[in-house]
Amino acid sequence: MTARERLNQLKEKFGPAIQRADLPGDSRLFAYVEPATLKAVCQYLFRELDARYVISIGLDDRPFSGKFLVAHNFAFDRDRLLCSMLAHLPADHPEVDSIAPAVPGANWAEREFRELVGIELRGHPYPKRLVLPDGWPDGVHPLRKDVPWNQVPADFDENAEFTFDDPPAGCTVVPFGPFHPTLDEPEHFRLYVEGEMVRGCEYRGFMVHRGIEKLAESVLTYNDIPLMAERICGICGCVHNVTYAQAVETAVALRPPPRAEYIRTIMLEIERLHSHLLWVGLACHIVGFDTLFMQSWRIREPIMWIAEKISGNRKTYALCVIGGVRWDITPEVKVELRHLLDKLEREWREVVAAVSRDKNIQKRTRGVGVADQALIKSLGLIGPVARAAGVDIDCRRDHPYAAYDRVDFAVITDTGGDVWSRVVVRMNEVFESIRIIRQCLEKMPEGPLQASIPDELPPGRLGLSSVEAPRGESHHFVITGENNRPHRWRVRAPTYQNLQAVPMMIKDQQLADMTISLGSIDPCFSCTDRLETIDLKSGATRVWSQAELIRLVRKT
Amino acid sequence: MSLLSKLQETLVCLKAGRVTLPYPAQAGPVPETFRGRPIFDAARCIGCAGCASNCPAREILVVDVCQEIRILQYLGRRCTYCGRCADVCPEKAITMSREFETATDRIGDIRQRLELFMSTCQRCGRCFTEPSPLEQLKLKGYRFDDVQNERWIFRSQAYLTSEAAVDDISIDLD
Repeated sequence: MTARERLNQLKEKFGPAIQRADLPGDSRLFAYVEPATLKAVCQYLFRELDARYVISIGLDDRPFSGKFLVAHNFAFDRDRLLCSMLAHLPADHPEVDSIAPAVPGANWAEREFRELVGIELRGHPYPKRLVLPDGWPDGVHPLRKDVPWNQVPADFDENAEFTFDDPPAGCTVVPFGPFHPTLDEPEHFRLYVEGEMVRGCEYRGFMVHRGIEKLAESVLTYNDIPLMAERICGICGCVHNVTYAQAVETAVALRPPPRAEYIRTIMLEIERLHSHLLWVGLACHIVGFDTLFMQSWRIREPIMWIAEKISGNRKTYALCVIGGVRWDITPEVKVELRHLLDKLEREWREVVAAVSRDKNIQKRTRGVGVADQALIKSLGLIGPVARAAGVDIDCRRDHPYAAYDRVDFAVITDTGGDVWSRVVVRMNEVFESIRIIRQCLEKMPEGPLQASIPDELPPGRLGLSSVEAPRGESHHFVITGENNRPHRWRVRAPTYQNLQAVPMMIKDQQLADMTISLGSIDPCFSCTDRLETIDLKSGATRVWSQAELIRLVRKT
Repeated sequence: MSLLSKLQETLVCLKAGRVTLPYPAQAGPVPETFRGRPIFDAARCIGCAGCASNCPAREILVVDVCQEIRILQYLGRRCTYCGRCADVCPEKAITMSREFETATDRIGDIRQRLELFMSTCQRCGRCFTEPSPLEQLKLKGYRFDDVQNERWIFRSQAYLTSEAAVDDISIDLD
């Protein structure tokens, strides 16, 4: 069904509540909805038309329209359609009905714009603080345009502590994270444990929230942002770089030259290769199978070298600018890349053959961390987590971008929905990535790397872009603005949705399976309030308090 | 068969042999295209400040001490070696070197300071045409930064005025 037909469907159902709509092309739909009907529209899209929930965005649009704006994004994966339901809210008292009761996946996104933009929610099921630090005062909303980017509120309380919920009766609290050996970034899970079984958990994250979106809106310029965007994630940085560039390009109807599109595709697949091999290694490391950890990383290393050769860096390729790419793929690199892919395919096939029948890994991963199709639908889970449960979605095919519409590849799915299925999906996706790169090298035309941009980028245009990152769909929402920078840029990394499912995935499981369940979504995390030191000679233990640790850290 | 798969896994390891490189005892070569620490060449620099205007990390500061002398200071503290400065430099005065072991406890080790004799019009400062219109949009005039306090001022102007760019800085014009 095309964007216009979808719009007609909405108009038929809701009549004048659909105030106006923009249809830039067949694959995007922006509908402005009356705020009072917004929830009903979203519920209709999600429940009856079976759209996939993507993200919600709030923004301070007062400089332009004098109002606040809220947007709920949905995707129709079979129709190649991304749509955004927008509603203007009054400037003096921005308040909107929460869609989280109908669309559970909107839980975090709504809490996020409530804190950062200050749009109040009616009827949110769990309106607890999510993003802002513990000591941040209520009533200061950093993403509002009148709050300077470098302001620390005067009443910021360094010593404030987060109030956690009470655990259910009969459960013991086991803190997991912020700093945990198997995780690379700080996140804190308070697990409620009964015996060895996990009964639930509370999540406290966003400890490394860096305010990149605010910087982009106030300090950086269009072509600075791609280089910051790739620092959102240390592993799939190029994805954010490309997604941002594409979001701006779709907003202003700019098309990069074909060669640039092929180069983007190649670099994204190189990144997927390195990320999947890294993840398979890490997953094996988590379950204690270090042999494969080492071998998988050994096979991965030449990919890092070729990336360094193309872009000048092992990671953070600094690939895109608006309208093109910065690095070319020279004939020498082409030859080398082909050899490398042959070797990689051969070596990886041996590993897959060995691992797929290994009972030890399967014992640790089968039936663990299950996400079934109902959970995937309700929380909008994506990427290998969804595909491992037989949900056949992949942005590369469903919302084609760069040169993916000109290459042939299969979307790998499995049926188990557990960690083992995710291992299988990722292992096999490596072969598809190799196929894609080979086809790109074959088909890549000669030509310029950057489109010429004759005019200033027009303000007030909306752009959406979805890119299939190694761990799921990365989605960027851009509104172009004045002064050569976006008015609003919202990033939704894949882990944002997938992490919300962790409490359900680990429920009623052994505590020991927590790490691999969490690791299986390929997240990032860490954190410590206390630390214990043991004197090896005397065996005396000493517990460090949080205050002592902070003193120790800040001494220098 | 699990035993067979164990044997296969062993074979994978044996075939690979030892692959560890002797780093850091011995640093391997880096490719031609490597993006390491940027090196500024004072002999080639024309002081157009294109690098300063395009640096995403805002690590290049520009200030005029008098009519003829412009200071360009590269701080390098949070430089990400993205190479945008080298991209936009019209005189190829910036090269991305192959240095990557730049960790230091003295920040001055990486700082570079260029004192440039300017013979162009100081009021417009237009010494080059930026490669793309998107970049041209940005450069309405060169920035005037606070070099002493190592701080950048992001308001760019078509020409210098005596009005303070930030509260505690005033610019003396002749």
